[in-house]
Amino acid sequence: MAALRTLLRVLLGALAMAGPAHAQVTVNEASRYSAAVATEWLRVVLPAIQQTPGQSPPVAARTLAYLGLGLYESILAGLPGQRSFAGQLVELESLPAAQPDEVLHWPTVANATLAALTQMLLPNAPPDWKARFEALERNMPVAQPADFDPAQRTPEVIIRSETHGKLLAMALMTWARTDGGHDAIGPRRTRLDAAYVSPSGLGAWVPTPPRFARPLLPNWGANRPFMPNAQQRCAPPGPPKYDETPGSPFHREADEVRRVGVQPTEEQRRIALYWADDPLKTPTPAGHWAWILTDLLRDRKANLATAAEQYARMTVAMSDAFVATWKVKYQLNLLRPVTYIQLAFDSNWVPPLMETPPFPEYPSGHSVQSGSAAAVLEAFYGRDTAFEDRAHNDRGWGPQRFRSFAAAAEQAAVSRLYAGIHFRSAIEHGTTMGRCIGAQALALVTRASP
Amino acid sequence: MLACAGLLVLPPAIAQVLAAPGAKPDPAAPRAIPRFVDETDAAGVHSRFDGDWEYTVGGGVAALDCDGSGAPSLFIAGGANRSKFYRNKSARGGALKFVQERAGLELTSTLGAYPIDLDSDGVLDLVVLRVGETLLMRGLGECRFERANERWRFEGGNQWTTAFAAAWLGRDVHPTLAFGTYVDRARQDFPWGNCTDNALLRPASGAALAFDAPLPLRPGHCALSMMFSDWNRSGLPALRIANDREYYKGGQEQLWHVPPGSDPGAAPRLYGADEGWKPLQIWGMGIASADLDGSGYPAYFLTSMADNKLQTLVGGATKPIYRDVAFVKGATAHRPFAGGDVHPSTAWHAQFADVNNDGWQDLFVVKGNVGNMPDFAMLDPSNLLLGGPDGRYVEAAGESGLLNYQRGRGGLMVDLNGDGLLDALIVNRWERARLWRNVGAGSAAATRPLGHWLQIRLRQDGANRDAVGAWLEVEAGGRVQRREQLVGGGHASGTVGFLHVGLGESTKARMRVLWPGAKPGDAALTSPWFEAAADGFYLVDRQKGLVPWQP
Repeated sequence: MAALRTLLRVLLGALAMAGPAHAQVTVNEASRYSAAVATEWLRVVLPAIQQTPGQSPPVAARTLAYLGLGLYESILAGLPGQRSFAGQLVELESLPAAQPDEVLHWPTVANATLAALTQMLLPNAPPDWKARFEALERNMPVAQPADFDPAQRTPEVIIRSETHGKLLAMALMTWARTDGGHDAIGPRRTRLDAAYVSPSGLGAWVPTPPRFARPLLPNWGANRPFMPNAQQRCAPPGPPKYDETPGSPFHREADEVRRVGVQPTEEQRRIALYWADDPLKTPTPAGHWAWILTDLLRDRKANLATAAEQYARMTVAMSDAFVATWKVKYQLNLLRPVTYIQLAFDSNWVPPLMETPPFPEYPSGHSVQSGSAAAVLEAFYGRDTAFEDRAHNDRGWGPQRFRSFAAAAEQAAVSRLYAGIHFRSAIEHGTTMGRCIGAQALALVTRASP
Repeated sequence: MLACAGLLVLPPAIAQVLAAPGAKPDPAAPRAIPRFVDETDAAGVHSRFDGDWEYTVGGGVAALDCDGSGAPSLFIAGGANRSKFYRNKSARGGALKFVQERAGLELTSTLGAYPIDLDSDGVLDLVVLRVGETLLMRGLGECRFERANERWRFEGGNQWTTAFAAAWLGRDVHPTLAFGTYVDRARQDFPWGNCTDNALLRPASGAALAFDAPLPLRPGHCALSMMFSDWNRSGLPALRIANDREYYKGGQEQLWHVPPGSDPGAAPRLYGADEGWKPLQIWGMGIASADLDGSGYPAYFLTSMADNKLQTLVGGATKPIYRDVAFVKGATAHRPFAGGDVHPSTAWHAQFADVNNDGWQDLFVVKGNVGNMPDFAMLDPSNLLLGGPDGRYVEAAGESGLLNYQRGRGGLMVDLNGDGLLDALIVNRWERARLWRNVGAGSAAATRPLGHWLQIRLRQDGANRDAVGAWLEVEAGGRVQRREQLVGGGHASGTVGFLHVGLGESTKARMRVLWPGAKPGDAALTSPWFEAAADGFYLVDRQKGLVPWQP
């Protein structure tokens, strides 16, 4: 029977290739294939992000979002009944469609799209990583023989699939280059960021010890978001009114950070370090959650269609979480705990576990981004689904088991308080904001109207 | 531009299989295949379109009768080279022959050109698109031209001007000009999101031709083609613009309401979603239009990078809602049909024309890699898609001899030797332009017709001598064919002259003209029907009626 099916596929493929343009369209669903092509790319891209200069957390989230979208859009014609994100995202109205009469092999399409996008999104990846990208693309059929059946992958199908995948990647990049983040570490952006001058005033952010670095990506909040209304609908309420009066709400929040920082428990110390997800040391916070999703897809033997939709929604949510966070951060320009505590409590106080990141405090980026990812994952896997986080296994910190995605997100959020770099309002408001952004990503329509 | 995989080379056998869709005529709808003979060398055309970044686009040609002979002479853009003018010396029905002459059109930095009688003096002028100042070149007769920017108070700007269209709107006695521009020349470091505004130049009031200051058509989305076309037969054309998604931010294809210059208080405005306009993002590079189904409404073919569209109106006269029928009509032209390279195609100039005189419009699509983009076909032959009564298109460039593997840009299908068969010209980037003679069913030694034809030139006294905006209707063989007299479209290439209509087996036809501003059924603006024998040239003069014309 399997042989008969294979023969039928080949015959249908030949018909569609050799016949006139109105030949019978072959039903060829992406759900027939495993998610391996996607998860294998993530397995390579995440450490590459870690080692690529300039892939700070907001930038890395953007990188992952275009990869997630690219994956979904590249196999769209293999997702019967589903529709494109084009027309729903800001300034993306349409994308090239696959020709209805051309048989495509969806893992090959996805492989080509992810390869092309990875090269374009990580142009300054170290040379050895670029070589790995090429090797991964080239070797994928060998590494995943179950999905790359030679009987389906005739030379014609391979080339058509690869060229469609690359065309789609190119179309997406024409859009990506105008989002404001494309040149994140290029000379243009560097000049723009260098011209930024932080506002001054009571409670205003100032560079923090020990490096007193310039603010990171001060214009990132002006980037084009993916979703049209998430920023507006998910705006946080703002921090407590700045106040140095003992007993005031602001003062109390600062005191909480100070006290934890003076003598963190072992558990608090572990949590703070586990979720630090620093750039150049880890795949960043968005990469951490992408890792979690990748493991979920592998553990559950998900198919390619499932993986594409989940990656797309979660990565878009995380990227928009960073853009929205950065917008609010630089609008409110709130000082960091270290600045306040040294002013109001102890001039020698410093965060006990890590340096304060060089940008304004409110809201907490970790909290917003983790909240957005958890909201998306809950929708796909269930609110009370326990899971194992193996993102830091190779660092000897894992696996960590969580009773739910929300529990993981809450831990990621509060880790910033334990680390002495965020006030509680930034964390709690941030988590709420993130969940709202996740809901916006879930509201994007992928099922075509009947 | 992309750091992706390199060129894939296929074994010939596979390439043949891949080339199969459309490579052979559909037996259900056989097409008469014309033969094209490459006469570039013999004709004496030696023009190259060269240049780097600012010449990745453009590369146009204009065909115009500038000496009253009826034979179109050629202006060919040179990019970094000077443009050239070639006087047509072809004998009627004979081999193509051109002589390069100094016509005042030896210009630097040219991208393309469109002929138009701007001042309605009966002599065609030429609008030259350039990297830098756009030039209005006034025709002096006998194929001499002079710069007329100052004479006509025309501000030519200093932009990267890549598209042009013109129309006489409403009761205007002078034309309204639209110019499309590409990337901000000062932002080559980061071209993305840096498209410049397009411009509308309305005629100033007064008897003498002059233009008001440019009115920005904002936002500009890196236009590569534009045309005024009466999409809903309202009598007032709208401005359709093809835009290149490669560089715009939030752009899309555009359709503008453009009020007449006599109504200066009314501002141009974009058609919006409330009017049915649906956003479309493509690498828009060229536009061709024609009434393909006898509905009276034009369909539009939009060229792109593998993403070509053939749009037919489904919203009626009230809403510009279009459906893409490229696939069902066999007109996707998204990959090379020959040559073994199966990467996506890059399409530029497009033109509907009846190259086999069977009475059905064919589609000429000029193709070529932008430069050396590895993920797009390097061997990307231009298409000759033959139309037929079944409404579908069948590829025939290979069989017809019209194979061009160079980096095609602009082009034209135009009768250069007065034999009723449309000849072909393609301008190539980094290589010579090429010229083919259409010899019908015959050979270079003996041309043989494939079908009957008419060539009709529209004329009227006073303003708008060539009746730009008019619709010609030709009834033969039991159906009506239509041609809209346009200035614009294609890719940086255009012609004004005799409108060519294939008649198939009909030896006679009748014709009428809906003069500019007419709606269907508008008797006051519609000529009577005229009877005409096939295979001849005619003037339809608004004042004098049908006048046979001899080349």
